[in-house]
Amino acid sequence: MMKKIMVIFNKEMIDNLRDYRSWMTGFFWALFGPLLLGGMIMLLGNSIREKVDQPLVLPVAGAENAPSLIAYLEQQDVIIEPAPSDPEAAVIAGDINVALIIPSGYGEDFSVGKTAKVQLIFDSTRQSAMADIRRAQTLLESYSEYIGLLRLSLRGVSPEVIRVVQVEETDTATPQSQAMIFISMLPYFIIFAIFNGASPVITDATAGERERGSLEPLLINPLPRGWVAIGKMLSAMPFAVFNLIITLGGFAAIFRLLPVEELIGVQIGLGISALTSVFLICLPIVFLACAIQTLIASFTKTTKEAGTYLPFIGLIPSLPGLALAFLPVKPDLWTMLIPTFGQQILINQFLRSEPILGRNIVVSTVLTILLSVVITYIAIKLYESERIITG
Amino acid sequence: MIQVQGLSKSFGKVKAVQNVSFSAPDGQITGLLGPNGAGKSTTLRMLYTLLKPESGTAQVDGFDIRESPLEVQRRIGVLADARGLYSRLTSRENIRYYGRLHGLEGETLEKQIESLLFLLDMQTIADRKTEGFSTGEKLKVAIARTLVHNPKNVLLDEPTNGLDVMSTRAMRQFISRLRGEGKCVLFTSHIMQEVAALCDQIVIISRGEVTANGSPDDLRKQTGRENLEDAFVAVIGSEEGLE
Repeated sequence: MMKKIMVIFNKEMIDNLRDYRSWMTGFFWALFGPLLLGGMIMLLGNSIREKVDQPLVLPVAGAENAPSLIAYLEQQDVIIEPAPSDPEAAVIAGDINVALIIPSGYGEDFSVGKTAKVQLIFDSTRQSAMADIRRAQTLLESYSEYIGLLRLSLRGVSPEVIRVVQVEETDTATPQSQAMIFISMLPYFIIFAIFNGASPVITDATAGERERGSLEPLLINPLPRGWVAIGKMLSAMPFAVFNLIITLGGFAAIFRLLPVEELIGVQIGLGISALTSVFLICLPIVFLACAIQTLIASFTKTTKEAGTYLPFIGLIPSLPGLALAFLPVKPDLWTMLIPTFGQQILINQFLRSEPILGRNIVVSTVLTILLSVVITYIAIKLYESERIITG
Repeated sequence: MIQVQGLSKSFGKVKAVQNVSFSAPDGQITGLLGPNGAGKSTTLRMLYTLLKPESGTAQVDGFDIRESPLEVQRRIGVLADARGLYSRLTSRENIRYYGRLHGLEGETLEKQIESLLFLLDMQTIADRKTEGFSTGEKLKVAIARTLVHNPKNVLLDEPTNGLDVMSTRAMRQFISRLRGEGKCVLFTSHIMQEVAALCDQIVIISRGEVTANGSPDDLRKQTGRENLEDAFVAVIGSEEGLE
C-alpha cells in the first residue's frame, strides 16, 4: 500500500516542482505576511515615535490676553505659535491639528474671578491629530484646576472640599502590550501561508487532472482510489510546510533586521525555540489545509472553479487570528476545541512567552488531526464515487 | 477473455446501456460498432470498472467486474476516451508512472518501456516533455502506457479518432499485431470500414442495445445483404454513423 502511495506521491512531486509558476504563486503568499507586517511596523512605529518625542506645537490667537496661561503652557514644554488668521479653516484644511483662541475679554473675566472662556478648535475625526488634541485639552483642564485650587486656598477653603473623588489611575499597558497588536497578527499570516502553499498544487493534482482528461486513465490502474487521493494530498504537504518555514523565517528576519525596539519600543522575542514551537504547533494545520483542499478540488470540475473556492478556504480559518489582534481571547479549553483557532491562540502565547498548558496543546493538536482525518475520509469517499468521472 | 452478461446503466432518465451481452475471446479482435451516443463508451467504462452497472455483470479472465475490480484492472490495458497525458513529464516518465502503478519496477520496467518505445517508433520523442505533442504522438504515449504491464486484454475506445491516414494505418496494423500475440482485443468505433477491415467479430450497438452480433460473414447472412455497409444500415435502421 505504502509503495503505491509513494508512486503517486513521487510523480506528483516531480510534476508539481516542474510547474514552478503554480508553486511560486503560493510562495508569494508566504512572503506576503512578513513584508506587510514589516512595512506596517515601520510606518506605525515612525508615527508613534514622532508623537511621543516631539513637544506639542500649539497655535494660539490672542496670546497677549492671557500671559499667565501662556506661561503655564510653556512651562509644560508646549511651543506657542501665533495662530493663522483663520484658525478654523486651517484646522479643516489639516494644516494644523489644533488651535487655541483666547478672546480679548479673557483677562477681565479672569481678574474678577468669573469663568473665563477660551476656544479650542479641532477635528475629532482625524486620528492622526488625536494625540495633540488630547494633550491640549488635558493641559487646559489642569491649568483651570490649578488656578481654581489656588483661589479656594486664598479664601481659606480646603481644596479637598471640591475634590470629592480622587481618581488614581494605574495603567497596566506597557509599551510591550501595544506592540503585541503586531504580534497578534502573526497567526493570521502563518495560517494563510500554509493554505496558500498547498492550494495551487492540490488544484492542479485533482481538478487539473480531470480537466486534462488524465484522471480517468489514472483511475483504471489497479489501486484503490483512496490511495490516489492520499498520495495526492501528501504531495501537497511539502509545499505547505515549505511555505510555513518561509513565513516563519520571514518574520524572524523582519524582527531581527528592522530596529523593532527603536520603532515600537519593544524587543520581540522570536528566537529559535519560539520558532520551533510555532512550527510544530502548526503541523496539524498543514494536514487540515491539505485535507480540506483535497476535498474541495475533488468535486470541482475545473482548475478555474477550484481557484474560485480555494483562496476563501484559507481565509476563513485564518480570520479568527486577525480578530485576535483586537479582541484578546483567553486560552480557555473551549478555544482549543476549534481547529486553527486553538493554534492561533497558542502561537500568540508562545510569542508573548506566556506559560502554556500542555493540555491545551494536546487537545488542539488531537482535535485538528481528528477533523483532518474525517475530511480525508470524505474526500476518499468522493474519489470512490462515480461522480469523480462523470462530473 | 471478456464475457458480458446483461449489462445495463442509466444516467438519470437516459438509458445509456440496456441488457448488453457478448463475449470477446482471446486471440481475436472484437469490435463494438455503433453510432455516436449508442452506449459503446459506457459499456467499456463498466468493463474497466470505472462505472458500476445497474444490473448484469461481466468477467475478465474469470474475474467479476463487480466483485474483484482490482483483479480485473490488473488484467486489462485501457485506452480510454479521455487520454490526457502529464504535459510536464516526458513520454518515458508518463509510461513509467503507469508501469509503477501496476507494480513494475527496476530493470523489468525499463526494458518493457524500451521495447514499447521501439515498437511504437517513438525513440525520438521518448525524453521530450509531452507538452505540444501532435495528436498522433500523444496517442502513441497513451498506447504505450496502456500496454506497459503487458495486459492479456486490451480495451481501446475509438483508437483512431483524430488520426491522419498514415497514423490510422499504423494503428490498425498495431491492433492486428496485438491479436497476433494472442491478446483479447476489444475496441469501439463508429467507422464501418475500420471494423470490417479488422474485426473477427462485430457487436453492433444502437440506442444502448445489441442489435446484431457475429462475424462479418454472419452479419451479411443475417441481414441478407452482400455489402457489410448495407448490412450495418439494415441492423441499426438508419444511415447515421456511416463515414
